[in-house]
Amino acid sequence: MKVFPYRTLAGEVALRVTAVKQDQKDLHTSVFSGDERVVALHQVERDDWTYARIGVTATLPVKELDEGPWQDVSVVLVLTEKATNARTTAVLRPRGSDNAEWTGRIRLWRAAHRSQAELSVSVVATVDGVPGRIIGGSEDNWVVDLTARTPVRRRELQINEVDFATGSEEWLRPFKDAPWIVETSGDLPTVHLNTGFEGVSELLNSGGAPLERAVRDMLATQIATDIWTAVFHSAVSDLELDEEGNPEWPGGWRDAVLRGMLSDVLPGMSGIDALSEIHARRRESSGWNELQPRISYAAGRRAKVARNLGTAIRVLDASQKASKA
Amino acid sequence: MTDKPEPLPDRLALLSDINAVKHIGMGVRSGRENPPYIELGRQVTSLPDDDVRLRVEPVRDLIDDVMHLYPPAERTRADAWLAPRLHATLRLTRREAADEAMWNHLALAVAPDYLVWRHLPAKGKDGLPPMVSASRFRGAHYTQGFSRLWWAAELFRNGADYAPAVVACGNQDVLNTLLRLDIIDHRPTAQAMIRLVADGVARTGREVNALATVANAAAGTLLYDVLAEDDDWYGDALEAWVAGADSAPVVSRRRLPDGPADDPVSAPAVDTLAERFRELFQDAPVRGRTAPPEG
Repeated sequence: MKVFPYRTLAGEVALRVTAVKQDQKDLHTSVFSGDERVVALHQVERDDWTYARIGVTATLPVKELDEGPWQDVSVVLVLTEKATNARTTAVLRPRGSDNAEWTGRIRLWRAAHRSQAELSVSVVATVDGVPGRIIGGSEDNWVVDLTARTPVRRRELQINEVDFATGSEEWLRPFKDAPWIVETSGDLPTVHLNTGFEGVSELLNSGGAPLERAVRDMLATQIATDIWTAVFHSAVSDLELDEEGNPEWPGGWRDAVLRGMLSDVLPGMSGIDALSEIHARRRESSGWNELQPRISYAAGRRAKVARNLGTAIRVLDASQKASKA
Repeated sequence: MTDKPEPLPDRLALLSDINAVKHIGMGVRSGRENPPYIELGRQVTSLPDDDVRLRVEPVRDLIDDVMHLYPPAERTRADAWLAPRLHATLRLTRREAADEAMWNHLALAVAPDYLVWRHLPAKGKDGLPPMVSASRFRGAHYTQGFSRLWWAAELFRNGADYAPAVVACGNQDVLNTLLRLDIIDHRPTAQAMIRLVADGVARTGREVNALATVANAAAGTLLYDVLAEDDDWYGDALEAWVAGADSAPVVSRRRLPDGPADDPVSAPAVDTLAERFRELFQDAPVRGRTAPPEG
């Protein structure tokens, strides 16, 4: 928890998107979702737009604001994307008489963004004579997704079904004998599923009989374990250091992976301590080998190995009994 | 030492991380082996072939020139020369530059010899021969050998004026420290920090580190965007610049080229922040500095 040397807002600052325009054209409200807090800019599937305009309303805890020690309150909408180092801000204006709702809009230039931008709001005021102090902000930020067709939070994983031998991605050719390949570089980890490997995608998309389902789940589990192991190693090896040489939380999916898995890999250590420990172990290679079973355990947990394996064993058992009978 | 690629590809393309990484071995990093140029040619994903910006030749000419202009002993000075010229030659949007696969391609298939020339250390570590760090071939925007130069030019230019980017690239501590800070994504913040460097207020590695630390820490409670408001950015100038690539002459080797004609950063905003950073810096602990300088 961050400590501020002055009083900040305790009440909630909420942000919601109210309208989206692409160039001059209003987009249907189905391009954004308040539940998912996502704007999907690719719903119209055009690549020739120049900018999008996003209209928002922020709701402030007005009673607290009135009674608090803050002057010159302003509300600022902030649009950023790490991949392009883009940062745009827009000042919101109060609407109505009680200053509870602040509205405004911000422009997102396509040339300055690539995949997922984050939209948040900051409340700024003069505190104890110091202007520009951040006194609050939205906790639940919005994602503006330039590649999504529907406004849902992207999964932590992309699945690309492609024939390794004949597909357009030439770099996959050398792997044509593999049923799948996990790629952990880039915005999101991707599992490339080889449709040229006979039976794999049919099996994964199969339903039907219990035995079929059990095998499918086992395969899915194996792929998932592979993925979790790969993303964990990738996240640990890409850690960036601050000026003092301490590792920093990496952001994006790597952040989620580390925060989720470290508690299983280094049980009993929390947060930044676990991050420093894992970084030190990897860098110095001492105790790194000993951690491998824990990493595989953590990956397996996430892939629900135990449950799927259990189901599979039960089903196989039952089908063997049935065939013997 | 690494040879110039033969055959040299005609066009920039995308080389996925997976394919890039497998060629960044000790042999390539130490300059004792060439990357497998022919094999690399088969592993790339092509980009639209009607885009003049993606021609390899103008970029490769720049690389040849920079290695000719600077003797190996002065190679760190080459960054300030190359960064604005690379930026002005490629004419990329940030959207395009954010694709690391293109930088991978540049690093391995177009100019690995430059990376070895520029980044090979004098001594090896742990009994190994001297090797270029793998992150110069494939890495974040502030470490990869080419994208760091492009992003430095992009984030530190003041509209069409690359001069602040030249200051940034002329000091390795600035390039290594400031380029990785998120706060420089706010244009007045970037310009204010460069002004302190240009004025000689923060010059040494320790001073630049201290400046980065105080400015970054203060951003935890202060919203610089409000203290020093920048004008809205419009994409038109960039679009025109990209479109003008067709008819643009080769960038000057002597004069500093012009960047996209974005509006310059608001001057009062830069003044405000530069003053603020100056005050913060004077009170900052700098290793090796016994008393705060006068002021």
